[in-house]
Amino acid sequence: MIGTKPRFFQFVAFVVANILAWPILIVIPMSFSASSSLSFPPKALSLKYYVEFFTSPDWNIPLFNSLLVAVLTVAFTLALAMPAAFALARSQFAGKAWFRLLMIAPLLVPHIVLAFAYFIYFAYFGLIQSYTGVVIAHTCLNIPAAVLVLSAGIQSLDPNLERASLSLGAGRRATFWHVIVPALMPSIMVAGFYAFIHSFDEAVIAVFISGRDKATLPRQLFNSFMMDMDPVIAAASGALVFFLVVFVLVAFVIRLLWASSRTYSRKAGA
Amino acid sequence: MPTRTILSVLAPTAFLLIFFVVPLLYVAWLSFMDPTPGLANYVRFFKSGYMVETLLRTAMMSAVVTLLSLIMAYPVAFLMANGAGLYAKFLGFVVMSSFLVSFLVRTFAWLIILGKGGPAQSVLMFFGWDPAPRLLYTTFASIIAMTQMLTPLMALVLYATMKRIDPVLLRASTSLGANNLRGLVHIYFPLSLPGVANGVTLVFITCLGFYVTPAILGSPRNLMISGLIGKQIEEMLSFGTAAASSMILMAFTGALFLIYSSFSSLEKLWGPK
Repeated sequence: MIGTKPRFFQFVAFVVANILAWPILIVIPMSFSASSSLSFPPKALSLKYYVEFFTSPDWNIPLFNSLLVAVLTVAFTLALAMPAAFALARSQFAGKAWFRLLMIAPLLVPHIVLAFAYFIYFAYFGLIQSYTGVVIAHTCLNIPAAVLVLSAGIQSLDPNLERASLSLGAGRRATFWHVIVPALMPSIMVAGFYAFIHSFDEAVIAVFISGRDKATLPRQLFNSFMMDMDPVIAAASGALVFFLVVFVLVAFVIRLLWASSRTYSRKAGA
Repeated sequence: MPTRTILSVLAPTAFLLIFFVVPLLYVAWLSFMDPTPGLANYVRFFKSGYMVETLLRTAMMSAVVTLLSLIMAYPVAFLMANGAGLYAKFLGFVVMSSFLVSFLVRTFAWLIILGKGGPAQSVLMFFGWDPAPRLLYTTFASIIAMTQMLTPLMALVLYATMKRIDPVLLRASTSLGANNLRGLVHIYFPLSLPGVANGVTLVFITCLGFYVTPAILGSPRNLMISGLIGKQIEEMLSFGTAAASSMILMAFTGALFLIYSSFSSLEKLWGPK
């Protein structure tokens, strides 16, 4: 098409795609480097830093902590964002604009300020160096995105599905769990996915409030960057990239399976 | 208001009030109360050449990063929205993956690239610059790394608007006699402006508050405001000053959001609904 694919754009886009991709790809061979310095390309390859990453308590405890915090964060975020999204998408009430602003507000505050706020506030409650503090902080951070994603999903729900279910005799609760939630599953999965990733990767707040025993992986990585440049960070970074790729693939496959199973059951019932 | 709605609204509101609003109010309170009641912390901030310079430097660096990432992301977003199917999906995959990879991993990648044994220095030495200048722990490193990290965000935000632009319009302009450049400049770009506004706002504000990357890669002498706040908390333990600096940073970003929301509603920031 004449007007739609200017060569100049294609050239720049190609260059930019490379700029985006290569730095991340470089991490992978580096993670197999046998040397303790950061020189690239690595002169010798070895799995020893990967082994250390998974066996040394310096690293596998933070990894476990990050996973635990991320899972809890997803649970709390969805539990709070779902009612909020429904209220925003379906109801009218006084102060709705303020409510919407409050739900979005955490996105408007720089993380360092939140980290500082939690640092002094949680200290007062004794929540520093605990899982609870980090989960609470991460939940607050993720509520806005989850609310945005979920309300978009709710708005595109076919209201006839609910009406049909109610007219067939299902109560509100049954309709919710058996009709609305399955229909909303793609949005729920996207919201949960983002919450997991943002919590797992979150560095600033974790550095300030996750403490030494309950340190998350980003906090451990950050401290290592700043202080001792432990060569395990190369393997840790490589592991994170692998985790992410696997996670995205799993999410993609789940979506495909979910979509195809629903098509199948519709055909089977017809 | 039906009970169901009241309950739906109550839980998230209470949660965010207790665990988000109150902590921030505490910071505000600290800024006026520590170590002595009054505006001393703010006065100290604005009188300190160092702190004001840090704020201005942060704004300038953020502007540079925003501009660079806009230039880099615009063609990518354009092709994601208008390109041939497979290429568009591939670009989308690269942008999305880059967006999802943790900031720390990408910072590490730049540590390798810009470091002493790294490709950047090898390239410079290949072109005759021997010994190559130190690239790491400089403002330059911060800017390059932040640009690379925020370009995917810019691209995604631009794409959200661009995919709604009807490609027929551009073709129509061509059939009416405009060449590529005119079509782009006079038709497409103005239509994409809401996306540009969204992207510029989000990237600029994210950059203002960026902590991790400048802390690891940046110059310890030329801090960004978030690094300064971090230093005030951890090294100097001067919580009052840190609180005042935080309030000033929040006021700055808040003002930008206010300016944005006077043109269009805040939720549109993440894409037209």
